[in-house]
Amino acid sequence: MAALVRRGRCHVYGDHLPLDEGIMPFRLAIQRVNDPQALIPHLFEGFDPGFRERVKPGDFIIAGRDFACGKTHIQGFIAMTALKMSVLCTSMPYKAMRRAVAEGLPVLVGCEGAAAFAATGDEIEVDFSTGGARNLTRGSVTQFPAMSPILRELAASGGARGALTAWLRDHPEQAAGETVKP
Amino acid sequence: MAAATGAERSAGGLTAAQKILARASGRARVEPGEVVHPRPELVIIHDGYVETAYEQLTALGYGRVRDPERLVFVTDHEVAYTTPRAVERGRSIRRIAKSWETGRMFDVGRGGHGHLFPMENGLIRPGMFLFAYDMHCTNFGALGALAVGAGPEITTVLATGTLWTIVPHTLCVRLEGVLPAGSHARDVGFLLAHGFAEGTWNVAYDYRVIEFTGPGLQRLDLAARVALCSSITELGVANVLFGAPPPGIDTAGAPDFLSDADAAYEARITIDLAKVEPQVALPGGPERAAPAGSVAGQRIDHAFLGSCGSGMYQDFVDAASLMRGRSLPDGVRMFVVPGTTETARRLADDGLTQVFLDAGAVLLPPGCGPCAGGVMGPLGSGEVSISTAATNHEARFGAKDGAAYLGSPFTVAASAIAGCIVDPRSFRGSAR
Repeated sequence: MAALVRRGRCHVYGDHLPLDEGIMPFRLAIQRVNDPQALIPHLFEGFDPGFRERVKPGDFIIAGRDFACGKTHIQGFIAMTALKMSVLCTSMPYKAMRRAVAEGLPVLVGCEGAAAFAATGDEIEVDFSTGGARNLTRGSVTQFPAMSPILRELAASGGARGALTAWLRDHPEQAAGETVKP
Repeated sequence: MAAATGAERSAGGLTAAQKILARASGRARVEPGEVVHPRPELVIIHDGYVETAYEQLTALGYGRVRDPERLVFVTDHEVAYTTPRAVERGRSIRRIAKSWETGRMFDVGRGGHGHLFPMENGLIRPGMFLFAYDMHCTNFGALGALAVGAGPEITTVLATGTLWTIVPHTLCVRLEGVLPAGSHARDVGFLLAHGFAEGTWNVAYDYRVIEFTGPGLQRLDLAARVALCSSITELGVANVLFGAPPPGIDTAGAPDFLSDADAAYEARITIDLAKVEPQVALPGGPERAAPAGSVAGQRIDHAFLGSCGSGMYQDFVDAASLMRGRSLPDGVRMFVVPGTTETARRLADDGLTQVFLDAGAVLLPPGCGPCAGGVMGPLGSGEVSISTAATNHEARFGAKDGAAYLGSPFTVAASAIAGCIVDPRSFRGSAR
């Protein structure tokens, strides 16, 4: 099974950060914009105007309770995945967590005390298979709940799309052949 | 997504959800928080998503789905084609059904609402596990089946025959007493949704199975159970199940689908049905419940009976009991949407269709009716609606600036005749 260890700088937020207007402008969800390059400049735009200049590939979002609440539009997850970001949060709605992982975004839920472990700008390293986390800026370590092996594999292999590609490779009998074209 | 506790890992009793998921996953026992890969007996997709699923899998190179014999296409979102695009979509779905060798295809006018007719025709059975595209498949809990709404991940089910699923915790809701006249299971659902969202009981409900138990269940028929399932689903619960066999359904030979007496519920709450008053859900969501009397007098333009939550025969019996011999006032249009073709037939045979037509209501074909985005019988800009729809989020029935209230079949029928929202207990509409 693929290891999933990520290192990056943190952006720390509080509770109840909504998908619409918090993580991504609602209009981009309604327009069903799915191009990561069109979405990335708007990530956290309404909530944290300085994010666009600060963010770097591989960064972490650290959030409190109910991260990514509201209607489960996926545009924010698409942008974060394209930036190879990861999320540590206290909790998030189940459906949002599913959609995030299905897009290929590594998510650790149940991370009580994550906001005390790292501040915005700190560099951390997280091993998703064990939940072990190191704050490289402070020289401290902590333990979060591990990510389920099944979910970790899914996130590491490109989400649902990556898994479906792999499945077809292993099951060539399901590949398109002489089928009726609608 | 909480991990199972040590106590639950000991050999205690099992919830119904644990039993059904264990069976579907080929396991003796599963625990809340575990990730499993259950194999569904059926996979149901409605007409609004078949093309998208096909396009996505085709783009990845797929030509075949894993278990075509388990696949069911239902047509309930756009039943009476109202645009050339809808005609083309119907044609496309029929071709896809052929291409994928889909096991069962319920086309326009065949079956009706895909969250209702499979309970009438024996497709859904107690103890069954299935996946569906649409979240309101929780209806099947009324019959003791566990249906998981996979949403866009239904493509994974189609391709691989399963989908990772976390075994949910179960919250026990004990029902005591008897509903007073004029109150309805739908009102119980609105009150529960409100209480969950407001933290009345301080219990977690996100991705929890809500299991109804207690003596109050005895007087709730299948339509009432469906109303309970539907009115709390939009909150994000995992499923809705019941602690007693479905009324009027032969469960002989069914696998074990009821929780053990010592099942490890995550929390328990009690509802006294005798104290339930008629409710409306204010525009914005089923959890925005308020006593119907608190908005009495609110003028309406549009009313609608039906949807997956209130489209069974008994729902129309309840509404007709208040509408018989009465007429809709000028300026109020009302749509009556039998959930299934079988319900439509019974309503016609028993003279209830005539009650609605005599009142001036419009009969629409079995299916979702206006609740599917207002493709039929939409709400206009600045208008006010009261209906038994599954939800009333912004623009659900059409206009973004329309105001959609929800109520029970009693409340909707009484309000339609009155021309304004009324508490059905105080309804004294004049006969023709």
